[in-house]
Amino acid sequence: MDLEKRYAEVGVPLGKKADEDKLPYVHVVEGQVPYTSKHRAPGVEVTDPGDAIHSGIYGISEVVHKERPYTWWGPNPDEARALKVKENKFLYDKRTTLSDAVKKFIRPGINIGVAGFVNTRNPFAICWQIVKEALCNKTVQATNLTLSYQSQSLDVEWLLGAQMLDSSRVEVKRVELSWQAFEVIGSGPIWTHMVQAGLIEVDDYTNYGASARFKAGAMGIPFMPVRDHGGSDMERVNRGVMLKCPFTGRNIYVLPACHPDVAIAHVTAADMYGNCRIFGFLNTCPEIVGASTASIVTCEDLISTDEIRRYPNLTEIPFPAVSAVVPQKFGGYPGAVWGNYWFDMDHFREWRAAGLELRLKGNIDPLKKYYDDNFYSCDTFDDFLAKRGYKKLAELKRLDMGQAVII
Amino acid sequence: MTDKKVKIGPFETICYTGARALEDKTIVFAGTGLPMLACLFAQRTWAPDMNIIFEAGSLGVQMWMGLPLSVGDTRASTRACIIKGLCFAFESQQRGYSDFGFIGGAEIDKYGNINSTCFGEYEKPKVRFPGSGGAGAMAANSDRIIAIMALEKRRFRDKVYFITSLGFGDGSPDYRWTAGVHGRGPYRVVTDVALFGYDVGNTNRMMLLEYHPDLSVEAIQERCELELLISPDVKPMPLPSEEDLNLMITQVDPEAYFLGKTVA
Repeated sequence: MDLEKRYAEVGVPLGKKADEDKLPYVHVVEGQVPYTSKHRAPGVEVTDPGDAIHSGIYGISEVVHKERPYTWWGPNPDEARALKVKENKFLYDKRTTLSDAVKKFIRPGINIGVAGFVNTRNPFAICWQIVKEALCNKTVQATNLTLSYQSQSLDVEWLLGAQMLDSSRVEVKRVELSWQAFEVIGSGPIWTHMVQAGLIEVDDYTNYGASARFKAGAMGIPFMPVRDHGGSDMERVNRGVMLKCPFTGRNIYVLPACHPDVAIAHVTAADMYGNCRIFGFLNTCPEIVGASTASIVTCEDLISTDEIRRYPNLTEIPFPAVSAVVPQKFGGYPGAVWGNYWFDMDHFREWRAAGLELRLKGNIDPLKKYYDDNFYSCDTFDDFLAKRGYKKLAELKRLDMGQAVII
Repeated sequence: MTDKKVKIGPFETICYTGARALEDKTIVFAGTGLPMLACLFAQRTWAPDMNIIFEAGSLGVQMWMGLPLSVGDTRASTRACIIKGLCFAFESQQRGYSDFGFIGGAEIDKYGNINSTCFGEYEKPKVRFPGSGGAGAMAANSDRIIAIMALEKRRFRDKVYFITSLGFGDGSPDYRWTAGVHGRGPYRVVTDVALFGYDVGNTNRMMLLEYHPDLSVEAIQERCELELLISPDVKPMPLPSEEDLNLMITQVDPEAYFLGKTVA
């Protein structure tokens, strides 16, 4: 079938959303919804929440915190649904370049949903390009950002490090997360530094809570009841609330859906329309992409739609959830991608050493050198990979030990 | 086998004691680091039919590539019976698949509540840790919780700064029910020099079960800020044999990420 001809007949240019210019833009402040619960009086420390439903957590720990008014950090569920309804739903070619995708979707004030998990299938190439465009090329302004994810490591630290160098180009204001560090290698130095300095507003969930919020978003419902958070201090500090279950009568904690303005994800394989296959851990990638109002997906391999249609059960992210597809080999480097390569622990260590110099000694020079070496002196993500060298990448491929993928 | 000898340091004891706290033919929801070390050792010794859930979404993993360095590591998903995502892993423990949750943390109080979030004010903390990760959910919904950390006075406190992973809350019998969580709660605390349990169903307070043979009950209390209950059956803890140590260094942590190290 001649798809191009069909697109021309329906009057829609290839690769462009129909109402693109008319999409309402949701800003974190504009998205505020007044919240009336008693224990959400903003700016005060609540030691007794009155008759609000809660677990009795007040007074068990030493925590001190201030209540915040409830806001949606991104589109609210109804806005997110309206945006998705407006989008074109047919199969059109979504392939683009990293640079074009970042220039098209990254704007000040958005919530970026970061897919991947800790050091696995993180959207490194996309984060690299955001830093490159915003900090080095100055083609986009990545300021007043919210980041949402469950657990992340270096890809997010790249953005925060760029903020340390020039906060007029890259600036993360809020992070809704469960965890940020480098597992056995240690803590995330820049994130730790920024939170301890009060530079970032954080909102803490468990890994399940953060995932369930995206799942609610992907399901098109405003909240998700979960059997965690309750009874811990996360019940006090995050944006979930305790309700009484209408059916069992027992307390149940509910979490608001999270709809990123833009999700960024790296997958094993995708076709040109955005149908994605994922092997190894799915992490929360299908939910994060599914909850977003727009998404950029990089893939190790671009595969044919014939192949997708041969094993449709293997599709983990369907085409309507995806806005841009960028084939990028080693797009998850220095993280791991099952069936392709293991993570580059040396590179994580190199970053952490540079970050700790700043956090512990206030010396920003190693961080500057890191960005000089890995961003300023590379035109593309492939140049960055070339700097790591064939031998390193081949070694990481060997360390994956050939996990099975079907592409 | 190798001739490489490992002396019985803190992490060897933690690995051995952690594994002893586990049971064969059960499912364990394991966190990063020390829990993995103990699970891998247990699987290679007396719990070959114990299965593991890793939070990134795998169940029934056979870790033939070695010790995973993160719960999202490819090594934490090899030869699994099923691999999905985080929602699958945590929803299966909400559903009741997980007999033990195996977690770490920075501080623990007398009711087994664990902090892995921050010291000081939440909005501008004096010290900020990585955050809950899976631990908060595991503490809520695995049937019983095993905590694992080095025994230090600053970690074993009467009250913690922030409760990330719920234990028995304020110790009252219906606290966890009111909190809306599923699991029975704290079961063991594994450390380098002592093994603790809880006075479950009574005071719900932490109780010393075993102490390192080089130390005494008093010496353990000395190392805790919180006041311990002492089990009437308190006894010295068994230490790993030469054979166990060899197994650890050849099959569990050959790259020595933990073994041979000292507690910071």
